[in-house]
Amino acid sequence: MLPLYKKHTVVLILGTLLLIPRILSAQSAESIIQKMDELQSFDSLKSTGSLITKDRFGTKTVTFISWSEGSDSSLIEFTSAAEAGQKILRTSEELFLYFPDAEEVIRLQGAALRQSMMGSDISYEDMTDGKDTLDKYEVELLGEELVEGQNCYVIEMTAKSRRVPYPKQTVWVLKESFIPQKVEYFSKSGKLLKEMRVLEVMDMDDKMIISRMVLEDKLKKNSSTEMILETIEVDVSLPSNFFSLDQLSW
Amino acid sequence: MKLGSLAFRNIFRNFRRSLLSATAIAVASMSIVLLYSLLGGMEQDMKYNLQTYSTGAIRIRNLEFTKYERLNPMHLTVENPETLGQTLYKINGVSAISPRIGFPARIYKGDATFNAMGLGVNFETEGNFQDLGDAVVQTGRLPREGQNEALLGYKLAQEIGVTVGDKLTILSTTAVRGTNAITLTISGVAVFPFPALNEKTFYAPLDRVQYFLKMPNQVQEILIKTNEAASASQIAEIMRGWPGMSAELEIMDWKSIDSSYSMIEMASTVYGIMALFFFLLGSTVILNTTIMIIYERMKEIGTLGAMGMSGRQLVTLFFLESLYISIIASFLGVALGMIITVILQKTGIDLTASMEGVDIDISSVLYPQLSLKSTVLVFFYSVIVASITSLIPSRRVRRIEPVEALRSV
Repeated sequence: MLPLYKKHTVVLILGTLLLIPRILSAQSAESIIQKMDELQSFDSLKSTGSLITKDRFGTKTVTFISWSEGSDSSLIEFTSAAEAGQKILRTSEELFLYFPDAEEVIRLQGAALRQSMMGSDISYEDMTDGKDTLDKYEVELLGEELVEGQNCYVIEMTAKSRRVPYPKQTVWVLKESFIPQKVEYFSKSGKLLKEMRVLEVMDMDDKMIISRMVLEDKLKKNSSTEMILETIEVDVSLPSNFFSLDQLSW
Repeated sequence: MKLGSLAFRNIFRNFRRSLLSATAIAVASMSIVLLYSLLGGMEQDMKYNLQTYSTGAIRIRNLEFTKYERLNPMHLTVENPETLGQTLYKINGVSAISPRIGFPARIYKGDATFNAMGLGVNFETEGNFQDLGDAVVQTGRLPREGQNEALLGYKLAQEIGVTVGDKLTILSTTAVRGTNAITLTISGVAVFPFPALNEKTFYAPLDRVQYFLKMPNQVQEILIKTNEAASASQIAEIMRGWPGMSAELEIMDWKSIDSSYSMIEMASTVYGIMALFFFLLGSTVILNTTIMIIYERMKEIGTLGAMGMSGRQLVTLFFLESLYISIIASFLGVALGMIITVILQKTGIDLTASMEGVDIDISSVLYPQLSLKSTVLVFFYSVIVASITSLIPSRRVRRIEPVEALRSV
């Protein structure tokens, strides 16, 4: 019979051995996600593009100009005729809607954030998810898979708090470029809510920008929204109070 | 002595006994008259509310709208409502037209949000369709065409905490399947006779709602009222075949649209059955009284039998007694029911408290409607049921031997 201290040592060694692959995979998953975030992070960015929503009633196109700074601040101004002048401002804490015929700016909160943005499959809540993924999610490398013929890491992300739109996500990250190829968004119960696929990526020196992607709301029948960025400018100069309420009604 | 006058005199020989039977019959007939009046009032009220606020007598919509209604398909519209309206007025039986846009909206007031239903109407022509005058507007005035103004149901105004002159911003889905918001100034607060309108609805000028929801020269539906004599289903059929009527429009009469009125019609049958039970209940009193009469009057029956009155004549005597009581009691019961109904027709029955939060197409103050047809029916029905019931125990009289009857009591 082993003495008690030897028993403890055996348990400790076995436990450590069992945990090593998990620790390694966790580190690996974190570094993948970190790299993925870094690749898509810019000091500031200006882009123009369009949202093409297809559903049972047909196709609808909305055009926009977008500005962003860091991972939390962004401003979208819609330019298509039916939505001309409407703006969405996102700061680190809040989301505001500006409409030319409304005398007050609408601050979206709670359940209202789940509403569809311009009738698309993208909700306002989807816009609140910044690039600082590791602050918000626990990540775990599940393995590797081929997606459309390309090698991808499969990473499961579990929300650390309730302040994120989706409690769980599975991300397929390209091994070669660290760009997400596909993301599946799940409810807490594990129901698939949305699926995003990256269709095109724009190489900006040492950074990468997703310039074309499609998002499908799995709770709607035959509905998808394609987002296309037509022009992109990086490191644009923006006034210090650009992402503020004062700027919404210019 | 004739049996008829003998029976009539017998009523007063034990007046308390007769009064008991008469009261049972009178209460039953009065209750049924009141029940039918109330039901008639509910039917009338629901018909008016549906035709005025909800479906019209006939409703014209885009053919696809109803199919996708739960998805709020604001882009499925009725084009050129004015031109269409002029065409519709040419059809015999059409008395009023209301082009409308109904839309779900989220109201933003400061940091608070409220869900509501917006209704865009033409206030200049809406007077022909529904009463939006002084009786409805509690404070302020009706919104003006071309102005970003709204008329709020008083409960919605209370919930939001606003009054005349205040502003609120509303957000909704447009006909181009986008989102838009507009700020409206509250021009008036209304107390609608229809409770659901007070809790969730606001009215705004049609032209501003068309602008806000990106619906130029379009509406969501056109509601049509018809003359009293005209049949909505027949006029709807004429409209479907009317020259120039677009095949992309759905034309439906109110009974085909809303099932709540059918519920009332069904309830009417159920209440008819309930009325029968009322009478059966009343009949047990009559039955009991008649049996008591027979036992109490054994000696009398024996004497009459000994004097040569046949069993058949004795049954007729007791039947006639019951018939007289039934006629008098039914008449009094029906008359009392009519008097109470006439009073309630003027005062109304205030159901405000009991209808709190109930989503049904009935007004908060209900006015019973006296139906002469059903009242006359109740009278004859009461007389027949009460008289026939008396036959059951009085048949026993036929089998009583005079000697046996004289020996008893």
